[in-house]
Amino acid sequence: MSDSLVPVTVLTGYLGAGKTTLLNRILSENHGRKYAVIINEFGELGVDNDLVVDADEEVFEMNNGCVCCTVRGDLIRILSGLMKRKGGLDGIIIETTGLANPAPVAQTFFVDDGVRARTRLDAIVTVVDAKHLLARLEDSHEAEEQVAFADVIVLNKTDLVTPEELDVVEARIRTINRFARIHRTSRAAVAIDQVLDQGAFDLARVLEREPGFLDSDEHSHSDSIISMSFEVSRPIDPEKFNAWMSTLLAEKGQDMLRTKGILAYANDDRRFAFQAVHMIADGGFIGPWAPDGERKSKLVFIGRNLNRPQLRRGFEACQAGVYQAVAASA
Amino acid sequence: MSQTTERQFLLDSRGTSRELGAFVVGAAFDRTGAVAAFALGDGTVRLTPPHPTMDWPVVEAHDGTVLAIAADARPGFVTGGDDGRFLRIGPDGTVTELARFGSKWVEHVAAFADARSGVLACSVGKSAHLFTVAGQPLKTLTHPSTVTGLALDSKGKRVAASHYNGCSLWFVAAKTDSPRFMEWKGSHTGVVLHPAADAVVTSMQENSLHGWRLADGQHMRMSGYPSKTESMSFTRSGKWLATSGAESIVLWPFFGGGPMGKAPTELAGGDNVTCTRVACHPQHEAVAAGFSDGLVALADIGTGRILPAVPPGHGAVSALAWSADGSRLALGTETGFAALIDFTPR
Repeated sequence: MSDSLVPVTVLTGYLGAGKTTLLNRILSENHGRKYAVIINEFGELGVDNDLVVDADEEVFEMNNGCVCCTVRGDLIRILSGLMKRKGGLDGIIIETTGLANPAPVAQTFFVDDGVRARTRLDAIVTVVDAKHLLARLEDSHEAEEQVAFADVIVLNKTDLVTPEELDVVEARIRTINRFARIHRTSRAAVAIDQVLDQGAFDLARVLEREPGFLDSDEHSHSDSIISMSFEVSRPIDPEKFNAWMSTLLAEKGQDMLRTKGILAYANDDRRFAFQAVHMIADGGFIGPWAPDGERKSKLVFIGRNLNRPQLRRGFEACQAGVYQAVAASA
Repeated sequence: MSQTTERQFLLDSRGTSRELGAFVVGAAFDRTGAVAAFALGDGTVRLTPPHPTMDWPVVEAHDGTVLAIAADARPGFVTGGDDGRFLRIGPDGTVTELARFGSKWVEHVAAFADARSGVLACSVGKSAHLFTVAGQPLKTLTHPSTVTGLALDSKGKRVAASHYNGCSLWFVAAKTDSPRFMEWKGSHTGVVLHPAADAVVTSMQENSLHGWRLADGQHMRMSGYPSKTESMSFTRSGKWLATSGAESIVLWPFFGGGPMGKAPTELAGGDNVTCTRVACHPQHEAVAAGFSDGLVALADIGTGRILPAVPPGHGAVSALAWSADGSRLALGTETGFAALIDFTPR
């Protein structure tokens, strides 16, 4: 998470939601910063930038025994090529096709050592169309996953709906993803600093922003994506957490789109940041806890078929000094 | 190797070096051996001058980054760049555009020549394009996904291209173009051909190599690497395949039935530094290797003796090439250091 890593913004959104409009707005307001833009060959509009790379969106399976582990092979090559350029880049923006599932893009930043050594996934920004989102969510898994994966959601075309309709759309977004930051706009008019350099995938900020961690009792009884969060106040035993999480991801990883957490480990003054996309997990220390603040561990899940009581019990049992008995066989 | 002291490096006694100021993507000697070229991340190609004390000529080649360089079938070089151009660069620095592919990158290039004929090749997306030595388009070979590596065999008769789920082997002069598809699931990221065409080997995304024996299609899987193999090179005899990606030079035996069931030979290890580039000597059973700390060393495969060439400290080695007669070694690093080492007997 060093500053020398080039930040990468992933721009997703269904066809016609306004991705390319947002992209061109970012590029026209870039204040002299140098960005590389990676677009797919089916882009809706032209992109006005010095450095535009055509990508083929080649989604490759990894042979690591993980059924949902896919990466964008084209991105690995393109990012490696861009890192050889003289003078460096202030950022890289990847625009995906409207039908793209964001998981392979995100997983590329976990899986490939060369990519990890030089770039960091800054945020997934999803542009949605206020007028058509509800219909899209009904007929498209991809639209739902794009909302679920988002760190930032640009709720666009607000001028085409009434304020009441807009509230309904935003409430629907919140059932899928309670943790993304939502910007209401028309014509993709969102300030550049609300989209780039979010540090959102670093997730400390995401979790700190979450107000009060309201715990509603809804649970996922259908195939739809929901999000939920948990908080515990006793320090976490790293071994217990790792054992629980690796089992959980191995068994349920296909349903678990994103998992993020900030953990207070016993006997450590640093915050441990944990995140996973499907079955692929990553973690590291991200700086100290505030000296006088509370050290609460928080965990967020976004996915399908999430069992709230089971997840809560599992997380609570990771606290240091909590006794438990489990069934065992000889 | 930590016991070697600084004055023992060949760079001081037999080297010429420059700071070129940009990532050295590749290095090559031309067929005559008279000129070496360094392809850079700033789009230029730097040539070595007739006399070592003169400035290195700067060739403004690509608008962006040079992505690949190889010796041309004629004197000089061919290059590909992220400006979508496939270029020929004469030994005097003259640039000729062979082809232009728009916004697609020209990621790999290769060339072959003998007394009678020759071929030039470059890859752009899913296609490998072949050209005559004169630069006339010969044919386009299309693959199921992007070509990640390109290799011509030692006779210029076959071209191998790696891609997702395997690699394709084509005959350059075939009347009808259908490849021999060597299939193995997964993402293949580079390819090398055995000098006697006994085998083809690819590097893979999962820190391993995959090979096929060409006689019977027998698969071979070579794993255990801590990181990705970015560089592979067969010795001239074809007995050994030298590879990067480990904290030593990993050499797989391709004699006595091949590498299956055998452990590789490891040379120049022990410093906890990753080997990033290998280049086998064109005459002898020896391999030059570059490491992530900048160290370059020559290893004699028979005796295991190590000859230190360049000390650490110049950036991770990203380019390594021998002249055809094996008298000189060119090397470059990610931070723009480039050098030539002279191995001629004194």
